[in-house]
Amino acid sequence: MTNLKERAMTDVDDMASNNGRRIIWMMFSGIGIVMISGAITGYLSQRGAEGDGPLNILDVSILGLFAAVILVLAFAIWRLFQQTKQSGERVPRRERLNNRIIWGCGIFGGIIGLALALTDNMGAANEPSLFASGPISPVLAVILASAIGVVLPAITFYWHKHVVDEQEDAAYRAGTLIAIYAFWFIAPVWWLLWRGGILPSPNGVALYFMTAFIALIVWFWKKYR
Amino acid sequence: MKNQLKVLRAMRSWSQADLGEHLDVSRQAVNAIETGKYDPSLPLAFKISRLFALPIEEIFDDEFEGARND
Repeated sequence: MTNLKERAMTDVDDMASNNGRRIIWMMFSGIGIVMISGAITGYLSQRGAEGDGPLNILDVSILGLFAAVILVLAFAIWRLFQQTKQSGERVPRRERLNNRIIWGCGIFGGIIGLALALTDNMGAANEPSLFASGPISPVLAVILASAIGVVLPAITFYWHKHVVDEQEDAAYRAGTLIAIYAFWFIAPVWWLLWRGGILPSPNGVALYFMTAFIALIVWFWKKYR
Repeated sequence: MKNQLKVLRAMRSWSQADLGEHLDVSRQAVNAIETGKYDPSLPLAFKISRLFALPIEEIFDDEFEGARND
């Protein structure tokens, strides 16, 4: 093998590495757009709750700033997407399928999010947030429960069978293992501290999101580090 | 585990994407194996061995210092 080591290496991965970074920046930009859109919705809801008056200069400035950031992020995604396409790099089969599923889920999620936003704006201005524990309409509950309980598992099953390779599978297992350990220890600690009057009562939604977040972070680190 | 994957790949002027296509894994998997952050399963190691027509022990080095029978 020594002679192999001594041969000149022509590494052709700079482009691949750049595309990897571009994809990560596209993901972060997309998340940024969603978060800023949420901030705009929250700001407008707050104004609505305080009694809608005409927009003053401060409102216009804040909303304009949010809109400008969204435009910049959208432009960045478009530019990065163009650069990725122009690089002409061949992408392995699993990643091509992965990208198609992500686009599909993004469009599906966007449609549901838009429908929810429109429903919220048209009717129940006082309806609690989806992430709170208050009641929602039965129709909305069935739609969301079906999406999370039927559509998402089906996509996840297909994803693991056809997209996830063994390295990513190991990353998933590491993520879920650490997340379940975190849940096992944090949930009873919170419960005990609540019983001792130190913390508010344990919140199942918060524990769910904490567990999912830890699994996601560890998966991401293991897969892309 | 140390390995010669990057060298073997470079000898064929393959990108990580090219090797990923041959092995049916992602670029991240190829990169993780090359950098020793992930050790492939036995089936994938055999696949790599067949692809480069080399024995597994010539591609992967477990740094075992003990005496060998051969």
